[in-house]
Amino acid sequence: MSRLRALENVRVVDFSWVRAGPWATRWLGALGAEIIKIEWPENERGRLPSTTTPQNLEVNLNTSGNFNDTNVNKKSLSLNVRTSKGLEIAKRLIAVSDLVIENFSSRVLKNWGLGYDELRKIKSDIVYVSMSGYGHTGRHHHYTTFGPVAQAASGLTYISGLPDKPPAGWGWSYMDDTGGMYGAMCALTGLYHRNMTGQGQHIDLSQMVSSVPLNGPALLDCSVNGRGSRRAGYPPGNRAHWPGTPLVNNYRGPTVAPHNAYRTHPGEYNDWCAIVCHSDKEWRRLVRVMGTPPWATSPKFETVGGRLQHQQELDDKIEAWSTTLGKYELTERCQAGGVRALPVQSAEDRVERDPQLRHREMYLEMEHPALGLHKVQNAPFKLSETPASNHLPSPLIGQHTREIVEGLLGYSLEELRAGFADGTLWPIKRARLGYMEEMLR
Amino acid sequence: MSDPQLTPGPLAGLRILELADETGQFCGKLLGDLGADVLKIEPPGGEPNRRVGPFLDDNPHPDRSLSFWYYNTSKRGVTLNLETADGRQLFRRLAATSDVILETFRPGFLASLGLDYQSLRAQNPGLIMCALTPFGQTGPWRGYLSSDLLHMAAGGEMASSGYDEADVPNAPPIAPGGGNAWHTGCHFAYMAIMAALVHRTVAGQGQYIDASIHEACALTTEAAIANYIYRGEVLRRQTGRHHAANPTPRTQFRAKDGTYVCALVGGRLNSKYVGELADLLDTNGMAGDLKDPKYQDPAVIAANTSHIIDDLVANFIGSLPAEEVYHAAQSRGFTWAAVRAPEALFEDPHLHDRGFWKEVGHPELGRSFVYPGEVAIYNASPWRISKRAPLIGEHNTEIFCDELGLSRSELCVLAESRVI
Repeated sequence: MSRLRALENVRVVDFSWVRAGPWATRWLGALGAEIIKIEWPENERGRLPSTTTPQNLEVNLNTSGNFNDTNVNKKSLSLNVRTSKGLEIAKRLIAVSDLVIENFSSRVLKNWGLGYDELRKIKSDIVYVSMSGYGHTGRHHHYTTFGPVAQAASGLTYISGLPDKPPAGWGWSYMDDTGGMYGAMCALTGLYHRNMTGQGQHIDLSQMVSSVPLNGPALLDCSVNGRGSRRAGYPPGNRAHWPGTPLVNNYRGPTVAPHNAYRTHPGEYNDWCAIVCHSDKEWRRLVRVMGTPPWATSPKFETVGGRLQHQQELDDKIEAWSTTLGKYELTERCQAGGVRALPVQSAEDRVERDPQLRHREMYLEMEHPALGLHKVQNAPFKLSETPASNHLPSPLIGQHTREIVEGLLGYSLEELRAGFADGTLWPIKRARLGYMEEMLR
Repeated sequence: MSDPQLTPGPLAGLRILELADETGQFCGKLLGDLGADVLKIEPPGGEPNRRVGPFLDDNPHPDRSLSFWYYNTSKRGVTLNLETADGRQLFRRLAATSDVILETFRPGFLASLGLDYQSLRAQNPGLIMCALTPFGQTGPWRGYLSSDLLHMAAGGEMASSGYDEADVPNAPPIAPGGGNAWHTGCHFAYMAIMAALVHRTVAGQGQYIDASIHEACALTTEAAIANYIYRGEVLRRQTGRHHAANPTPRTQFRAKDGTYVCALVGGRLNSKYVGELADLLDTNGMAGDLKDPKYQDPAVIAANTSHIIDDLVANFIGSLPAEEVYHAAQSRGFTWAAVRAPEALFEDPHLHDRGFWKEVGHPELGRSFVYPGEVAIYNASPWRISKRAPLIGEHNTEIFCDELGLSRSELCVLAESRVI
């Protein structure tokens, strides 16, 4: 059954690469926009280097698993925008599109002759989202980021870890994921505004700046109360408060105990379960779930003040119990008893063992011409009338060049062949892939 | 565009009803800061998350929670008890003229009050309703309790974050702080709401959105899922850097001032990079043997990776304050940064250049405070904080009397019977 799509008839010119930009357009594609990814194999970043190619396949431009998951729902146009002919093709494409999005450093598009002032001459109501590291204005606009650098500079790395230890930080590029979210959010907001007013605009997003407000309450604690985050007991690991340090809110919610990750049976690397009690009532429920052991009914644990004061002992005792159970069994027992608990889950756990994600069809299989049949991540929301869906596998590089150049832009087959011969549509010295020879017949 | 204070935001003209606790309030803030008229509907006495600290001057009071302040800018606030017939009737009247309802109640709660989407939509076909809940409206975990920490556990954030054994033996997986499970759910909810709004500009119809925080978190660990799906790998946690199937060189180094620098070097070491690195290290006389021509040979570089990173880069960073390393490196094209505490951002001149910090007035206190502002500069329709978070029931007369036409005496009766 073919359903309506939220972004039906929206066309996106996607110059983005690596992760944050492609993660943004992936979702616009899932919502029904036509995403035309402009790529050039000589300076491609996203397909290579690949650490996610299946062990039985050769690492090449078309076999990155992570590229596939990050670029479903898109078409690929191989195009050298640094040639005058290539730039002309890009401009003709922009003239029939709604949105231009890119995550280069701050002056790249302008230097190509595709700054906002030029873009609006080509298409007066174009929405242009730039996703550079530091934005297009401000004295450090030329600084560059990857996720971990944006996280470090913005204060996000610092807030993760144990007191008196180096920051643990985020074990991945959180701000590539979240930067991608902001890219998609800006694009949708700009499109809505254009549909309502007829007016396009330039939205100058910065990955580093977009990380800063994620520390909002900590920043207000400083600007209002003069309290900084470089202080004893902060960050408090998985706890809401670190024993023996001043009682100050840690910006994750209420200051309570228990609030920690506890080892579970059989004690392997990811055998942990998070347990939190937000009130004395929830604590009494946990006591019942644990079978009301004598230690747990001690008056010193009755109140939140007592539990915070004796938190190390409390955590040790809870862990002595938690290590007797597997993390899923522990979760089920706690939740059945009205106690907040969930397992620490690896990627394997999420894909193979999480009953909720399975029920919600988070990972559905999709065929890719080079990678074969694999699960792909789905949207975390269900729109009743225009559901998001993965309807195209990630494109092979240049897979849709003819469809776009000839079919959409009206160039002739001869011009297409000439573009391949003169280095506009594929590097002269690079062997063409099988589907390109096919395309040029 | 002459006066940016008068230029409407991109979502101007939209009315949002927000029935959201700590899990969804950030989504309402984003909608409000971008120009929508967000009406926050709280139970009489105020949302429980007004009781989350820190508080102004450490003096706890529901109108002094800085957490509540931060997450509820650009909203108006009314109180309404939906568990009374009068409360439900007033809510229906508001819903009849609103564009979006954002709600975070447990699945089935609004329907049990007769306020399900179908009945609200009957009087307003353009209405969009987004239910943002921990696990979604369906499935075996839909009734489970959660918290930010629990979502970081089940979503995979913790499995990826932590320490090298050498730094903290036997370390637990670490949940990054700051309430980012809620942020992540709100980012996706915002996206879904905007998709529905764009669709409505064309089709005219509203729709229902079932958004899940657990799914949003499970999607937000970069390549971890792909590493498993395509290669069967389960990744190990490493101090201050990416999870990995096999150990990778460290990227976090202690600076002279005791704080840290994030320096991405491993995996980038070719002869060009080594030459530029030698010049950077030489600015403080710390290039060591890095200028030796032998480093033109990739094999020599590969054999000396640990020497370059663990000796030369580490010693260079250890010889300077972190901020100095950051700017020296970035101005030479290195993608490095100081690991800053949040408060250091107030001193960042780049943020000042971008007009990032905003003075927000709190007229009831006769004071104003600096808030973080917009992450993106919209050149035709600004993102801006229009006002501080509402006090409890601050806009009750504005909404119930001026807009819905209740008399002041009727309002008093409703207050006495705890409807508002």
